[in-house]
Amino acid sequence: MSRTIPAVFFALLILSTQAVAQDPRTIVEETQKRSSAKSQAYEGTLRVVKEGSKIAEKRWSFERIGSHGDSKSILRFSAPAEVKGVALLVVNHPDRSSDQWMWAPAIGRERRIALQDRSQRFFGTDFSFEDLEERDTDQYEYRLLGEETFEGAACWKIESRPRQNKVSQYTHSHVWVRKDNYVVVQIENYKNATLVRRAKYGDIQRVQSIWTAHTIEMYDITEKSRTILTIEKLQYDLPMKDEDFTLQAFRRER
Amino acid sequence: MPFLAILFFLSQDFNQRGFVQTQTTVYPQDAVNDGGNVIGETQIRYEGFFIPWAGFQLSGALDLRSDTHHQTDRTWRLDWKDRERQRALLSLRRFSAQYNHSGLTIEAGKQFVRWGRTDIVNPTDRFAPRDFMTVVDNEFLGIDAVRGTYERGTHTLDVVWAPRLTPSRTPLLHQRWFIPPPITAPLTVARKIPEGSQYGIRWSHTGEVEFAAAFYSGFNHLPSYQVDSSGTVVEETYADQRMIGGDVGVPLQLLSVKGEAAWFQSPDQKTDDYVLYVVQLERQAGEWFFVGGYGGQHVTAKGTQSADFNPDRGMTRTILARAGYTIDVNRSIAFETAIRENFDGFWSKIEFSQAFGQHWRLTSGFTAIRGKPSDFLGQYRRNSHATVTARYSF
Repeated sequence: MSRTIPAVFFALLILSTQAVAQDPRTIVEETQKRSSAKSQAYEGTLRVVKEGSKIAEKRWSFERIGSHGDSKSILRFSAPAEVKGVALLVVNHPDRSSDQWMWAPAIGRERRIALQDRSQRFFGTDFSFEDLEERDTDQYEYRLLGEETFEGAACWKIESRPRQNKVSQYTHSHVWVRKDNYVVVQIENYKNATLVRRAKYGDIQRVQSIWTAHTIEMYDITEKSRTILTIEKLQYDLPMKDEDFTLQAFRRER
Repeated sequence: MPFLAILFFLSQDFNQRGFVQTQTTVYPQDAVNDGGNVIGETQIRYEGFFIPWAGFQLSGALDLRSDTHHQTDRTWRLDWKDRERQRALLSLRRFSAQYNHSGLTIEAGKQFVRWGRTDIVNPTDRFAPRDFMTVVDNEFLGIDAVRGTYERGTHTLDVVWAPRLTPSRTPLLHQRWFIPPPITAPLTVARKIPEGSQYGIRWSHTGEVEFAAAFYSGFNHLPSYQVDSSGTVVEETYADQRMIGGDVGVPLQLLSVKGEAAWFQSPDQKTDDYVLYVVQLERQAGEWFFVGGYGGQHVTAKGTQSADFNPDRGMTRTILARAGYTIDVNRSIAFETAIRENFDGFWSKIEFSQAFGQHWRLTSGFTAIRGKPSDFLGQYRRNSHATVTARYSF
């Protein structure tokens, strides 16, 4: 008996883990939990490539306090020179779409990015304003579409659909989550039956115990254009203050 | 010790940016008071931001400029005040110290203060004088001020005190953007810039609907003119002014609605008392950006002035529109227009811009102005022009 109990226990544990893992919400929640941090900072380089040739390169610095649906981030352009100082403040909410403001030094005023304008390309890149906000688990409904191998790694393929309180340009998305480390490796965004954008997450490295993609390639299917974001100097859990993520702080030019 | 000082400065947060720009403007038509048809301008701007320690920042900006049309003074001196009729060869555009702690930010020195929400016309933007030397292509001037901003949650309180007035720069007397009155005798303009301080307070709220209320007491940064009995001496004054106003931004399902309105009162009665308002609609669709609106005014009391130079009021009773199209990450087209509701004046501008590599941008544009001489826009009907601008940003 003393030998049976642990065997049954482990069998049940394995079964329950499998059952939990098959629930798409649980998978996404685990993904979110594993990528949570008190803060994040990195320097990003964006390369816009159209018809095989690079047509622009931009650089930004990114800082975020909090995680997922309860976070605020500021993104400041550092290159090219003509957009130096341009910034975007994103305030993510757990129960609704984010608030976003753009700061342009040339006009000296912030401009709110209205919800209906979030499908607009962000500074001519293939990311839209909506793509820059963080997804919170509770703002979507999930459906497990199956299991697939993506670039050699076993993945769950999950469909996510925005709930009513979430305004989105996309009707639904297909998300590939690696089974071994719960990292998102690809997202395909659809408008009805049409695939409009595909984000591929690559160069996945473990930074301070968080598996993180160091390249994100966003492909705009309609424009046949891609933007590759390369992440450098990534750090988690740096000391940051909430007061540095307000409209007032955002207006401070640096 | 110098080594330690260098190490100290190198270890701190210092950022800089700027540009070198040349612009050629071609006016196909002659003006009655200006035979020049081509103007060349060169400008170098340098901005630096230094954060010696967390919560404290020094900001500075210098403009070095020259042109072929004597719009810029050619004597070497550093201009801080921006009160001269001509642009300065070397001017301090900004120089301020900023301290922030918790939700409080205090900035003192020469700085830019922008209020309001709408585009093209901003009735509540009272601390923002402009260089109107080329009336339809203007830029903001910095002001000397102390500004305290306190943000708590969704509310922000902004208090500004400016020890003296920085007037807007108006067109030069013998150049095409100054429209001479129909007199034959030589005209003398006696300018009287008032001494005295200005202050203002603005409370704003952010949320689903954004709104703000503002009060200002000081002087109009735009001049009024009083002609003496001889008809040849014009007194240029900057009237006492009080302003109560507000703005609102409402995001709707299909578009954003923005509005801004203000009531202006002149205690010395040198200018009219009036209400200025703007309502505009905004929408982005794909690579297009549209803004359309209407600016209006209602005079509540007539002043004693003979004339005003007031582009804000000149743009009222007007349908305003702006559209932009991003061709790709390097190229864009912009279009702006203002049409008076009685069709007495019309201004339209189209601009194409292309970036080359990481530093260069070439912009070419054409501005068309038409209308009746009695109309604010129409009076500049001989000043339609084309521009080509090359900018190297660093």
